[in-house]
Amino acid sequence: MEHETASHASGGGFPPFDQIDTFPAQIFWLVVLLGILYFALSSVLLPKLSKAIDDRDDAIAANVSEAAAASGRADAAVKELEARVAEAKARGRETAARAKAESDARVAAETSRADAALEARLTSAERRIADLRTAAMTNVSGIAEEATAAMVERLSGTAPAPAAVRQSVARVLAASSTEN
Amino acid sequence: MMVSTDPMHQFQISRLLPIEAGGYDLSFTNSALFIAIAVFGIIGFLAFATSNLQTIPGRAQSLAEIWYKFVAGIVHDVNHDDGKPFIPLVFTLFSFILIANLLGMFPYFFTATSHVAVTFTMALFTIGLVVVIGVWKNGFKFLKIFTPSGVPLYILWFVVIIEIFSFLSRPLSLGMRLFANMLAGHVALKIFAGFIPTLAIGLPVIGVFMGGLLVLPLVVGITALEFLVAFLQAYVFAILTCVYLNDALHPGH
Repeated sequence: MEHETASHASGGGFPPFDQIDTFPAQIFWLVVLLGILYFALSSVLLPKLSKAIDDRDDAIAANVSEAAAASGRADAAVKELEARVAEAKARGRETAARAKAESDARVAAETSRADAALEARLTSAERRIADLRTAAMTNVSGIAEEATAAMVERLSGTAPAPAAVRQSVARVLAASSTEN
Repeated sequence: MMVSTDPMHQFQISRLLPIEAGGYDLSFTNSALFIAIAVFGIIGFLAFATSNLQTIPGRAQSLAEIWYKFVAGIVHDVNHDDGKPFIPLVFTLFSFILIANLLGMFPYFFTATSHVAVTFTMALFTIGLVVVIGVWKNGFKFLKIFTPSGVPLYILWFVVIIEIFSFLSRPLSLGMRLFANMLAGHVALKIFAGFIPTLAIGLPVIGVFMGGLLVLPLVVGITALEFLVAFLQAYVFAILTCVYLNDALHPGH
């Protein structure tokens, strides 16, 4: 094969330059083959490749914007949640305050009612005590009149007039009650 | 022990399938074979990588996307949004040069980009495209690329001459840079590598050690450098294509 070399000058000469007779062949095949390469690249391969790259870039951009939207939604949700929590807290406080006020009022009413009942019972008890004391005092004056009449009858032998006895006993009782 | 140490031998073009058409020799050569391997390798890989496109890419799809984004990034950095229609063109040039350069790094493989016919065809095509697009988009105003703004009138004629030469030298430098880098790199690699058997034969025992301990690490280093150059030249070609196309889109610096 090597003997079929185009250039006869295998020893001397400069092969890159003195193979001019092969230039048409080299150029012809270069143009034909590069033409094929250019056609294949420009019509099929590169458009496919750049479409794949563009598709990926689009997909990434779409995903990023979707993620940004989702993040925005999440932020809004967090804000709403915070607002709801604050509202719930306020409502809770309000409810608690109302309940406290209600219970305070109930307690006050209950207390005043109990106070009133106690007061009433106290008043009636005092009245009863006063009645009893009056009754007792009436009995005391009766007993004292009888005792006085008896003592006077025993000492003097004559029964005193009931009116005089009642009068003197009343005087003594009045004096002792003022002494008390 | 027949070792071919002729550094130029690797650049021989051989006709694998002689074809003659209209008086021209259009034989399928080893150059065409490796161009075809590069082209169909790129198409095959990208077809495989894009056969099952997913939002979460697999390994092949990831690589293809990185590749695409790299080229699209170059175009966007230089031409901004106007450059979008040129992405397939720049991708074609970049990928072909890169893969052809890398294929050339395999021993016994042919480096198609180390030939002026290939590099100058691409360079002339690029500059031709710049002129066509420049005239088509801007008409007569395309000539403004020769007149930088803000230059005083009394010196403008001189600047215009320089600009014209600069413009004319673009295809030359664009094609020559790639060709010379690939050629020089492969020649250097071959010479240094060939030095090892030469030493071993010329200086028994000592030569083997010298070749193994001194020259081989150097060859490994140059190989690594050549991989860098293979990528860098493709990158430079792509960037310069974008820069020149920018002139076509926006003449007047």
